[in-house]
Amino acid sequence: MKDAEKLFLGKNPYRTKDDGAFLRAVRENVRFHAENNPKYAQILDRFGFCADDIMNEADLYKIPVLPTLYLKRNELFTVPKEKLVLKAASSGTSGRASVVGFDRKSMLYGFGMTARFFAFYHMISIFPANYIVLGFEPDGQTGLGAAKTAYGVTKFAPAVHRTYALVKTGHGYVENKEGVLNALLRHEKQGFPVRLVGFPAYLYFLLRELKQRGISLRLHKRSMIILGGGWKRFAGEKIDSDALFGLAHETLGIARENCLEFFSAVEHPLPYCKCKNGHFHVPVYSRVIVRDVETLLPVPNGTPGILSFVSPLVTSMPLVSVMTDDIAVLRDAKYCGCGIQTPYFDVLGRANARGIRTCAATAEELAGGGKT
Amino acid sequence: MNLIHGKRMNAEQSKRELAQIGESVLRSLAAGRLARKDVIAACDKLSRKLSEQEHLALLVSSGMRPELAKTELAAFKSMLSRGYLERRVEREFGDWTERTFQPLDMDRSVRQKWAPLGVLLHISAGNADALPAYSVIEGLLTENVNILKLPGDGDELSLRILEELIGIEPRIAEKVFVFDTPSDDIAAMERLADAADAIVVWGGDAAVSAVRSMAKPDTRIVEWGHKISFAYVSGDEVSDGELTELARHICETNQLLCNSCQGIYVDTDSFEQVTAFAERFYPILERAAEEDPLPDNPFRAAQATLALYTEELEAVHMKKRVFRGKRCGVVAYGDSALTPSCAARCVWVRALPGECILQTLKPYKNHLQTAALVCGKGEIRKFEEALVAAGAVRIVSVGGISAHYCGMPHDGEFALRRYMRIVSCEYEGADGTGDRSNETK
Repeated sequence: MKDAEKLFLGKNPYRTKDDGAFLRAVRENVRFHAENNPKYAQILDRFGFCADDIMNEADLYKIPVLPTLYLKRNELFTVPKEKLVLKAASSGTSGRASVVGFDRKSMLYGFGMTARFFAFYHMISIFPANYIVLGFEPDGQTGLGAAKTAYGVTKFAPAVHRTYALVKTGHGYVENKEGVLNALLRHEKQGFPVRLVGFPAYLYFLLRELKQRGISLRLHKRSMIILGGGWKRFAGEKIDSDALFGLAHETLGIARENCLEFFSAVEHPLPYCKCKNGHFHVPVYSRVIVRDVETLLPVPNGTPGILSFVSPLVTSMPLVSVMTDDIAVLRDAKYCGCGIQTPYFDVLGRANARGIRTCAATAEELAGGGKT
Repeated sequence: MNLIHGKRMNAEQSKRELAQIGESVLRSLAAGRLARKDVIAACDKLSRKLSEQEHLALLVSSGMRPELAKTELAAFKSMLSRGYLERRVEREFGDWTERTFQPLDMDRSVRQKWAPLGVLLHISAGNADALPAYSVIEGLLTENVNILKLPGDGDELSLRILEELIGIEPRIAEKVFVFDTPSDDIAAMERLADAADAIVVWGGDAAVSAVRSMAKPDTRIVEWGHKISFAYVSGDEVSDGELTELARHICETNQLLCNSCQGIYVDTDSFEQVTAFAERFYPILERAAEEDPLPDNPFRAAQATLALYTEELEAVHMKKRVFRGKRCGVVAYGDSALTPSCAARCVWVRALPGECILQTLKPYKNHLQTAALVCGKGEIRKFEEALVAAGAVRIVSVGGISAHYCGMPHDGEFALRRYMRIVSCEYEGADGTGDRSNETK
């Protein structure tokens, strides 16, 4: 798998030349799943598709694309389950969660890629830091992907201490507002950088609380804010990044350039980071295809459609071509101007019947026999 | 926005009102009831005031399609008119609200009367426009004091209706307290609940569970939960006309309401027959969808495409067949599960032999609402009995699935009765005359 190695372990995540390594790695990945996953092979057959049909980049959209919804409802492991070393579940904002699993090889490339990627953003440091995790305290059982990712991020610089905004009680999570505020007050005096990691909504609530209480901290100048995930059920309170990070500067003293926003998905566990102009550029590890909302064929850049990805990272499951529930627009690098030479996407929102409300029972209600 | 003592209030003012809501409702109760006839008179005046010129724009601005807004406005006008409300009260309570009689096992007369529960806390979902106001009007018709918690995104239309009513009948101002407190402000919600004799909750299982866990055992809960409706087809003589009516209903409601048809059961145990029916119904649904097109919305279109495409992928290794186009879809399944449709204007078709109706649908007991029957006349009663035994509360022919009539029960109940209690007065002279008359109505 030399191509995959070259692809995932190379230094600059936004290099534009890969000598065909991406296409070869994708072909190899599709072939591997087709040979080892009968259910996936059936799907390829149904679409009359085989790995050799990928001649160039323009053919990538033809790889049968698996929507998030399919992965939520169907198990599709290519390797035996006992070979899975990490399992993660999506947060299931609108009901069901996807469960995905990774084998040793996927993990190896995944870690290598993540390390390279985060090093590019100067997030890897030997200098210790205090962490405020704006999300769930990890729990051995639930396997929430978001908890695992946030915990993983607290390994990028040695942790002096970790404080969680949502702490486990044994039968759920409770907010830990006072704990977080006290930790911040302590950390200001300790002389280590502070890293706030997690959901944007929780950061906003924390900053708002600080402002209301008239608290203005001057954290260590190498402190960082590292955000990922959507506003989910707090969508109504969403504020834009500039306002959010302006507030962070005001209340915590963290500079704008130390505030990073990431995008990822359990079904597509690759990192995307907003550039200084607020765009998610596509790294060398993947290709983004925006698809027509009716035909699922690729739309020209600049046209909104369903956000889908192609990447040969994962060997444990056929996640080589997956489709999110997000509506996005892909644009050429030249319209951004931040210096990164790859195309970028902006997420416009989630595919649903927006604004429509219903009194008809939902699938969860019917399946749960009235229990919630 | 909050509406208290007939005035709109901001968050800060409403917090002060919230802190003293217990005292406020006591004052309102002590001031005496606002008679039903006065509420009806106010509603009737409002009904006459409603006009297409003035109020249609308000409905359209709240997101309703103009044609639908016209129908809704006309329906609302009718439902608030004196004739309608008086007839409705009669249908729900029968012909007495107070009666005196001598019980079989007593030697003097007693008096029974319907009395309001006292204070109702309405927790309304945002699923239908003006529903919160409608819920409060039902509370007023039963002479209760009403606290309304608006849905998260507020409801300007409901506020406007209540303001109009207060303008017509100023005494309503002290019978209605509207707060827009968010549901996750537990302390505030508990304060509102403490002030109420009953909580009227509109919404899904999650909302109902939240209220059940918040309410103390001394507070009655009136649940208007989510429901599901479907069609049942039996026999070979199903006409295209009937199927067209069903398809039109599906497009008209976009399957969003509790009486909207989510899918179609076919009286068979054969997947081939289910598939054949789906194939027959698909072009009929497509034609109806073409005649009643939805406005362009990439978010909705994407949701439908993703849902139907996922079904197609699953059909590769499951017993399923998908018929889909740009505007709608029909999916034939190999099981008999009762589910909501996967997207607007997408219908499922499943096998359900007549003799399996009870056992298959019983697990969905309190979620069942309307079953639309398409079958031979001779068989209607048989299916009606099976569906009712399973838990359905409304049996209709396809043509009448969207219909509404005066005095119609709501999800198997008379709403007004649920907001009242029957008081029994048993003292000497309770009948007012001391007259030992025989049982009278």
